[in-house]
Amino acid sequence: MVIVFPDPLVPRRLRKEVTERLDPQGNVLIPLDPADVELAVEELKGEGIEAIAVCLLHSFRNPKHERAVADIIRRRAPEISVSLSVDVIPQIREYERATTTIINAYTQPLLRDYIGRIEESLVQAGYTGKLYLMLSNGGIALRETAEHFPVRVLESGPAAGVIAAAFFGDLIDEGHLLSFDMGGTTAKAGIVRDGHPVTTIDFEVARMQRFKAGSGFPVKLPAIDLIEIGAGGGSIARIDSMGLLKVGPGSAGASPGPVCYGLGGTEPTVTDADLLLGHLNPDYFLGGDMALDVPGAQRVLEEKIAAPLGVDPVRGAWGIHQVVDENMANAARVHCIERGEDPSRLLLVAFGGAGPVHAYWVAEKLGIKRILYPIGAGAASALGFLTAPFSFDFVRTAIGRLDELDYGLINGLLEEMEEEGRSLLHQADVPDEDITIRRFAEMRYVGQAHEIYVPLPGEPLNATSGEQLRDAFDKAYEQLLHRTNVGYPVEALNWRLEAVAGRPPLRLQPVPQQPGQTLEDARRPSRLAYFPEYGEPVTCPVFDRYRLFEGADFKGPAIIEERESTVVMGPNSHAKVDAYLNLLVTRES
Amino acid sequence: MEAGKPPTFDVITLELMWSRLISIAQEQARALVHASFTSAIGEMEDMASGLYDNHGNIIAQGVTGSQGVLIGLTRGIKNMLDKYPPERLEPGDVLISNDPWMFSGHKFDISIAIPVFFNGRFVGMTGTISHGADIGGIKSAGDSEEVYDEGLEIPILKYYKAGKPNEDIHEMIRSNVRMPHLVMGDLMAQVAACDVGARKLVAFMKEYGLTSIEELSKAVMGRTEAAIKKAIRDMPDGTWSQRVQMDGIDEPLSVKATMTVQGEDMEIDFTGTSPQTERGGINGTKTYTDAYVYHAVKTTLVPDVPNNEGLFHSVRITAPEGCLVNATFPAPVMSRYMLISFIASAVFGCLAQALPGRVIAECGVSQMQLLSGRTRTGERFVYWLMGVGGMGARPGLDGYHATAFPSNVGNVSVEIIENVSPVHVVSKRLVTDSGGAGKWRGGCDQEITITVDSQYPATINCFWERTTVDAAGYHGGKSGRRAVVKVNGRDVHPKRKSELKPGDKLIYSSCGGGGLFPPETRDPEAVLEDVLEGYVSLEAARRDYRVAIDLANKAVDFEETAALRKNRGSGG
Repeated sequence: MVIVFPDPLVPRRLRKEVTERLDPQGNVLIPLDPADVELAVEELKGEGIEAIAVCLLHSFRNPKHERAVADIIRRRAPEISVSLSVDVIPQIREYERATTTIINAYTQPLLRDYIGRIEESLVQAGYTGKLYLMLSNGGIALRETAEHFPVRVLESGPAAGVIAAAFFGDLIDEGHLLSFDMGGTTAKAGIVRDGHPVTTIDFEVARMQRFKAGSGFPVKLPAIDLIEIGAGGGSIARIDSMGLLKVGPGSAGASPGPVCYGLGGTEPTVTDADLLLGHLNPDYFLGGDMALDVPGAQRVLEEKIAAPLGVDPVRGAWGIHQVVDENMANAARVHCIERGEDPSRLLLVAFGGAGPVHAYWVAEKLGIKRILYPIGAGAASALGFLTAPFSFDFVRTAIGRLDELDYGLINGLLEEMEEEGRSLLHQADVPDEDITIRRFAEMRYVGQAHEIYVPLPGEPLNATSGEQLRDAFDKAYEQLLHRTNVGYPVEALNWRLEAVAGRPPLRLQPVPQQPGQTLEDARRPSRLAYFPEYGEPVTCPVFDRYRLFEGADFKGPAIIEERESTVVMGPNSHAKVDAYLNLLVTRES
Repeated sequence: MEAGKPPTFDVITLELMWSRLISIAQEQARALVHASFTSAIGEMEDMASGLYDNHGNIIAQGVTGSQGVLIGLTRGIKNMLDKYPPERLEPGDVLISNDPWMFSGHKFDISIAIPVFFNGRFVGMTGTISHGADIGGIKSAGDSEEVYDEGLEIPILKYYKAGKPNEDIHEMIRSNVRMPHLVMGDLMAQVAACDVGARKLVAFMKEYGLTSIEELSKAVMGRTEAAIKKAIRDMPDGTWSQRVQMDGIDEPLSVKATMTVQGEDMEIDFTGTSPQTERGGINGTKTYTDAYVYHAVKTTLVPDVPNNEGLFHSVRITAPEGCLVNATFPAPVMSRYMLISFIASAVFGCLAQALPGRVIAECGVSQMQLLSGRTRTGERFVYWLMGVGGMGARPGLDGYHATAFPSNVGNVSVEIIENVSPVHVVSKRLVTDSGGAGKWRGGCDQEITITVDSQYPATINCFWERTTVDAAGYHGGKSGRRAVVKVNGRDVHPKRKSELKPGDKLIYSSCGGGGLFPPETRDPEAVLEDVLEGYVSLEAARRDYRVAIDLANKAVDFEETAALRKNRGSGG
């Protein structure tokens, strides 16, 4: 009853209709009336608008009218930037196409200013190279491309984390993993399959209820497929109307932040609980730059959680830990299963400020055996930017049953997209031989509401392709849902193509063992820490991450501290350090 | 049962276990959505998923789906266990039924449930319910005179026996429905989804070392019940009644609810409601009525608690046999969805009197009518046209436009409509002044105009409500504009067939939402915004809201507004 949707980005008075109409095949039913367009442009100019998004019915079948509208706008108001739905996302469903195009138009002036400022400061700093931007799909593109399609940049930050996870996985020859990034207010998880982050075309921006699907604007462009969970170090714990312990999605954020920050926070948070459990070091938070208030955290936790539940504060703190871990594991599990992955077979790659503190127990709940903790947990996303390949993707709609499609037409669409892709990558100086083309179709059983992504063969399609595509569909369907419905007709809706360059080479500096260096050199003072296996806090060894070295190994329980985060590993596990100080922890159970 | 020690768990463990069960129910729901063949499940999510204990009590439900059909499924699981008690079930069995009286009120909804065994012992059930693509029978609800007209009845049967499909039943269903591959595919998706739930439930029990989920279920129900009882205790004691009018089929009908609250007990009775109708299938079975009563009570009093026995124990619902909301066999029931809005409005109306300002005003309705005919190439087609009214104003918030509540159907893409049918959408727009005026405004209604692109005439099976009765506002808020169905500008009978000749224009809209509190108390700036956006006309701003607007300057004329509102105050 109190669901809240975001206000439309374009108020109704700034939405203009023009006289024109295409039929579903793209034939002109009513020709475009230029006078109508001119009038609309004049009215919008009068409102002082900076950007116009154009979306006409069935335009993905025939771009003629949209292009004519663009010509008139450019003639009458060259200062206004124009986004056409046929350029941004030429595919069926006018609402999704319109919102995606509007967001493109809306962000265009902002991104242009932003890029301008970056460029200026780069020039001042003496940079003479080209400027590239990361896209939501995990690729990078030239600034010009990004400027045309700013809607493709929206989710680039979180995407970089998954790219980084893929990079670190690659270092240990592991291409199948779950990236787990837990920060102050949210946790994000994404799957990497065969070294490639899994992407989606179902993502939303500006959600009013951040974790509620359907409360934002749909953007139908490929983006790295992340599940975002209202669980972070700042997530607040409370007792609900049924007397149960709940954690998040409410968050104290960074300010006032957890009670232990001493910045005025009054609600018990996950970080307060971690501190009370001895998992965090009050004197080495952010490398010691911020002293944590243990008695304050204890007081609030006791008063607001432990006392109402009738348990001691350590049990209360462990309860918060368990509940937030359960929430993250549940969300990640559903995310994996929906994408046909069994989480227990993946490697967990943990980063972000709170990720390494909680990953061990998230892994336990998901049945995951191995956890990789990259060095520099707080900076993993930045590293992701450096390892992303050039890439761009395209889409065209051509609906039909596999046994009835005109494959000549489809080949034409695919060739057109490939040509565009190659030309964009050539502009970025990528030679032809470094370009990989991947082609997909979105297919479904006739009548079904959800499409699945099916890879297409590399060679041109022909009259016999129907059967081949059918087999590919059955295979993809079976992976996702463990069954097929042989015999039911299958149709394709959208045809997609990715043009990807090779991943830029990036080498980390190895940190070999120094002569005479031993694990004892990395020791910090042990402290009492709680692990449920012992029933009470026990003395736990603590290591300095920066003093570890290649080949070092040790058993849990152990705590490994670095500036931005803390790795906490439970009993029945052992850790091995690689040449770059990454930590691979294996749980034995 | 063996005399095992009941598992003991503290409140934190309870939370962990419960949230895992909810996650399992959600996995089950998503498995169904992804594997389903029809848009009723896939796009509108007219389905539900639940986990049940060994007595058939629901313990967790998927977040995805419709609460209304969930309660139908939940009632039905107990009926399944009555017919097939645990000693008559074995691993690999799958139960099926669509009995409207035992489940969710019409035959389109098919329930599938799987008994779950752990170490050879029956520990519970997993179940799903979903709206199938077809169930045979007549097409238009207006023609239905008894439930026999409405297609295939599937009593509670074993769809699979010990892991093997019961081929006779499969064949019987396949040969009775219009789109067998969709219907059978959806059933298969339901079986697969229940199986996912069952496997996960067993893994969960292993992980936590449980041999039964009975104690856990009791704890969940107990806490739910305590939370609801507390919310009822916090209400004033008393009795309140609300009668809501409907167009009806051949004559007007009404739903009357009387709510009595005493201490921690709540009773809702429907004495005074019209008798069930002979034609048209808008009758509700008791399980269906209960679902929307619980929904209204729960969303108002305890929005964050789950639907389970704890809720059912706390609110007693009674209705005379043979009335519109407790129809007796073999009444026609296929279009019982039409009642949702009216059952909800009657209950919300009582709650609004007991708890002024905490309840949503009456809402526009989700409606469907069936268009049938021939395409240009002579092929037969049928297409369901959807209409979505405006949402009623909510405490502190305006109602959304073209968003019905509690049941909502999505707005279908024009490009999709035109690609899959010969329907040509001439226009689709929000109707100015259709949302009920109020301090908080009701949502506007949407009006759609179509033609059929064919040289053959088509038939529209109208089944439209709220054409004579508008959605009421509360506490001085005005009502929303009534629904309309017209052909070429002339009203047609909203519950009969009409012909659409080539080129004829069909116009339909489904009713605006009601407002909350007197419109002259609305913030004048909000009225200005509504006028600029076209939701409210200049005249209505002046007449209903008593706000003068200087359109040239896009500003409120505060002086004149004050004068208008002052006159109103003294003039009554």
